[in-house]
Amino acid sequence: MASQLKVDTITGVTTAGSISVTGEGNSTTTNLQQGLAKFWIAHDGSGTPAARDSFNVGSITDVGTGNYKYNFSNNFNTAKGYWTLGTMAHTNDHNGTYVKLNMPMQADDVLTSSVEVSATYTASHTTGDYDYTYVNMAGLGDLA
Amino acid sequence: MTSQLNVDTIVDKAGSGGSNVKMANTSTYVSDGGNVTQNTVQGVAKHWINYDMASTTPRDSLNTSSLVDNAVGQYFANTTNAFSTLNYCINMTTNSYAGDSFQLGPAGAPKTNLGTDTTSKYGMWIYSNGAYVDAKYNYLLGHGDLA
Repeated sequence: MASQLKVDTITGVTTAGSISVTGEGNSTTTNLQQGLAKFWIAHDGSGTPAARDSFNVGSITDVGTGNYKYNFSNNFNTAKGYWTLGTMAHTNDHNGTYVKLNMPMQADDVLTSSVEVSATYTASHTTGDYDYTYVNMAGLGDLA
Repeated sequence: MTSQLNVDTIVDKAGSGGSNVKMANTSTYVSDGGNVTQNTVQGVAKHWINYDMASTTPRDSLNTSSLVDNAVGQYFANTTNAFSTLNYCINMTTNSYAGDSFQLGPAGAPKTNLGTDTTSKYGMWIYSNGAYVDAKYNYLLGHGDLA
């Protein structure tokens, strides 16, 4: 008989922030908290950056053209110690333009409370930052 | 009444190892550091694909109904379960090369000049070294709210 358990919060007994779940192959367990994205955001990078949707991003700071700082609602545990992946896209034709991924600008921009990223391009003889219409970013790691 | 369950491991009722757990979208978890709680479902990846643009059959995937080869270096992905709005968050990384190497090149997804996006379909392109290319290693990751 199928069982159903209704709860609002799941907490580890041994360690509050550590729940194991059994893997798809039924032979290993993996940490639930470690596998969750701790923040993600989809936003318009042009004009005043505004989130279309987001999770654990309280605000965006427009640092400059193609440069954004995502300010977290809940902080990470360690600066420089978490993983990010970013992608952006333009509504117009991109031929001839090499779009670099939306990545942290430098190590010192990866803070517990925020991450500052740069959306850049390289064309035939030019390179620079650009306010793309669609900018996405996600991050995993340990929250405080 | 608020309820709390203290456990170390979640498995299915049979205890054979599988995790067959249905979780409400209001469920929260205690953070790694133990200081805050966050919504569990919001943090779960809703879609991912590992695929070669030489084939419309992914190596592995989650919540992917089909891949559509639109043209060289240009693909659509369709999800089995749709997102609730167009505002979902797709990220990708690629080797931008049709083989076991890599090239400098762009990767875009979603909302490109490929055309219409829907809550269950998005486009992606790989343009590298002056031309579209069917990249061999493409990894897509999606977060957001499912319908």
